[in-house]
Amino acid sequence: MADTPEAIQKAKKQYLLIGLILFVFTVVTVAVATVPWLDFGDHGFDSRDAIIGLLIATFKASLVASIFMHLNHERKTIYVVLLIAAVMGIVLFFLTGWAFVDPIEYGNTVEGDRFYNPEKPITSD
Amino acid sequence: MEIPYTVTARKDTGLFNSKVGIWLFLASEVMLFGGLFSGYVFLRIYADYPWPERALPIVPGLINTFVLIGSSVTVVFAWAALKMREWRKFQIYMGITIACAGMFMVLKGIEYKAKLEHQAVRMDDFAIIEGHAHYAAIGDDGKLIHADTKAKAKKMGGSGEKPFKANAILFKPDTVDFSVARAHEPWVEAVLEQAAKRKAQLLTAENLFLYGSIEDYAGTEDAPLSSKERASKEAALVTKYANAEDKVERKFGESSLFIPARTALSYDLIKKARAAYVGGRSHNAAARTAILKDNWEKVKAERPDDKYWEQAPDTKIDAATQLDEQFDSEGNCTAGSKVMSVISTLSFKMDPPQPIVISRGWVKRPVKAKEGKAELRDDTSFNAGEGEGSAQGLMDSSLILAVDAIDLRWMVQKAEEAGKEPLEVIEKSWIFSEGNKNHKYYKRIWKSHKARIAALEEKLLEDYGRDKEGNPKRVPTETDRYRVAWQDLVHYARADQQEGRPLRPGDPGYDELRPKFWNGFAGPNHKDEEIHDLHAFPELEIPHEKVALQSMFTPKWNTYYAVYFTITGLHGLHVIGGAIVLGYYLFFSKGLYRRNPEWLANRVEVGGLFWHFVDLVWIFLFPILYLM
Repeated sequence: MADTPEAIQKAKKQYLLIGLILFVFTVVTVAVATVPWLDFGDHGFDSRDAIIGLLIATFKASLVASIFMHLNHERKTIYVVLLIAAVMGIVLFFLTGWAFVDPIEYGNTVEGDRFYNPEKPITSD
Repeated sequence: MEIPYTVTARKDTGLFNSKVGIWLFLASEVMLFGGLFSGYVFLRIYADYPWPERALPIVPGLINTFVLIGSSVTVVFAWAALKMREWRKFQIYMGITIACAGMFMVLKGIEYKAKLEHQAVRMDDFAIIEGHAHYAAIGDDGKLIHADTKAKAKKMGGSGEKPFKANAILFKPDTVDFSVARAHEPWVEAVLEQAAKRKAQLLTAENLFLYGSIEDYAGTEDAPLSSKERASKEAALVTKYANAEDKVERKFGESSLFIPARTALSYDLIKKARAAYVGGRSHNAAARTAILKDNWEKVKAERPDDKYWEQAPDTKIDAATQLDEQFDSEGNCTAGSKVMSVISTLSFKMDPPQPIVISRGWVKRPVKAKEGKAELRDDTSFNAGEGEGSAQGLMDSSLILAVDAIDLRWMVQKAEEAGKEPLEVIEKSWIFSEGNKNHKYYKRIWKSHKARIAALEEKLLEDYGRDKEGNPKRVPTETDRYRVAWQDLVHYARADQQEGRPLRPGDPGYDELRPKFWNGFAGPNHKDEEIHDLHAFPELEIPHEKVALQSMFTPKWNTYYAVYFTITGLHGLHVIGGAIVLGYYLFFSKGLYRRNPEWLANRVEVGGLFWHFVDLVWIFLFPILYLM
């Protein structure tokens, strides 16, 4: 933690630099999305553009978190709290995956079942 | 009371308490926004319509990103200034931070406003039309006129007529039925106002008795009313009031109501009818329960040795049949369990039939002429008359707009699903056929569009070549091919209206005519003089028959806008909340600064952490919503 006047002066320079990097990468993320010859993957938007856009966003977000939010030197308590939140967040992210076991959608039922869908019979495998 | 650990760190955590607090809060926020992002991913992956990728104008979002990053820097500088005990600098940096928050919200407001004013229509053949609705008014001859501005529409309309958005429905009803329970007061008043303006009255067609209690209907247990007695009572009421000067409804019992024929509509009347209706309903419930109880006792008495689950099937659960009147041989009503008030709607005849303007937001679903009625969300129903000479219902009131985008991707998707040739389906669709008054203009646009895409395809092939299998490495996307955006419309209009000869793709100067990405700040600008003079945004009249869904760019339109408004709205609330907290530090914390500057510095650090989090969420939101 920057607590001495000298350390704070030094930290301020760092904040400015990070701010500048964030500005630059914002321009970069717009450029790769709009300028044709910077377009990765196929012409127009595709999954590779999505990955690159999200990678840049993640890089920017990690700069904000580690420098502006001082997560690069924080106490253990906070890391523990954030770890739990991150795990829960990831679990939340995949909760929608339950849609894959929706019996109505996937027709994995037998005749006579109330979810039976004659248009989607089970294929024997 | 002294609050502990506001300045010094606790030994076990090594932190001052509010820092632990804010991180716990931010942890919950991570999960909140994480859940919403997950929702976005889910909606996008499973969308059954072409996702509106890169649909938002980039510039406001880009400026907002700069604004939030800048404010993140200044808020950390404000904290550093406090640590250095520089109050003046703290004030400046914090002031800039709050100004940034204000600017963010202003830009967000401009963006939201553009969405809320932008009309979208999905036609029954899955063509999507976007644009700005014209203004319309009812002319002196009772017919619809329209113009591109409100002022013009007012000037052209009949005297006293208010202009309205040309996405409203014009309906000449024979009768209007109001739901007693659900009629929405402002809509009733609006109908009344319009009827009065056009010198029409809404009157009940027949005498109505609304029984709010069993006693009014069937008498008391000691003195039951025979049906004859009730009939003579009703007849007396009719003679008393139906021909009276003062045609107001009268109570003839505790909560019952008699509404004579030709009583004029008022919301007050509906309210009174509602009281009778609700009274009747509650009575019915009581009667039903009583009948069920009686039946249960009867079955129990008949078969006392059976278990209750064996008795239950023989108990008449559906006692509805018993709710009917039961008469003895002399015609006296004995059971007295008649449904008290089955009348849930009040019907009014419009005399003479006059057009009523029904707002887009009032109706349950698009109105079709052949259905002969318009249903509002409060269950009000406007009905066309039957037979010759009666009101025809839906009037010629097409949805009229200045089109700024034609999106045929969904139509193509449906065509491909059905195994049809997309281009054929497109060129046979309503918008390019005789049914559309301006079809020639739209055909020309489509021709220009196809020419530009063909040129693009050629250029991509030239620039990137073919892969090993001989397929072009890069091809125009579905969006390129089948969405004619506002930039395209302006581009084609400019190229067509060049002095000398019209420019075609490949001609020198053709590409320069395309609007740049910073043009049209928050979307197509219909007020732009050049666009107006070019007639770049052509007029389109879509009959209500053809409309499958019409909406502004709101959550109703599709799941993209639903998730867009949900996440950005929640994020915007965070910006406002953060600005309020930071504003408190700036304007109300001088005293704390004098007493205990370190405490204030810690507060600002905690507030700053929240602010950085708000910035962090936006860093993800910007590419996801604007660039993907």
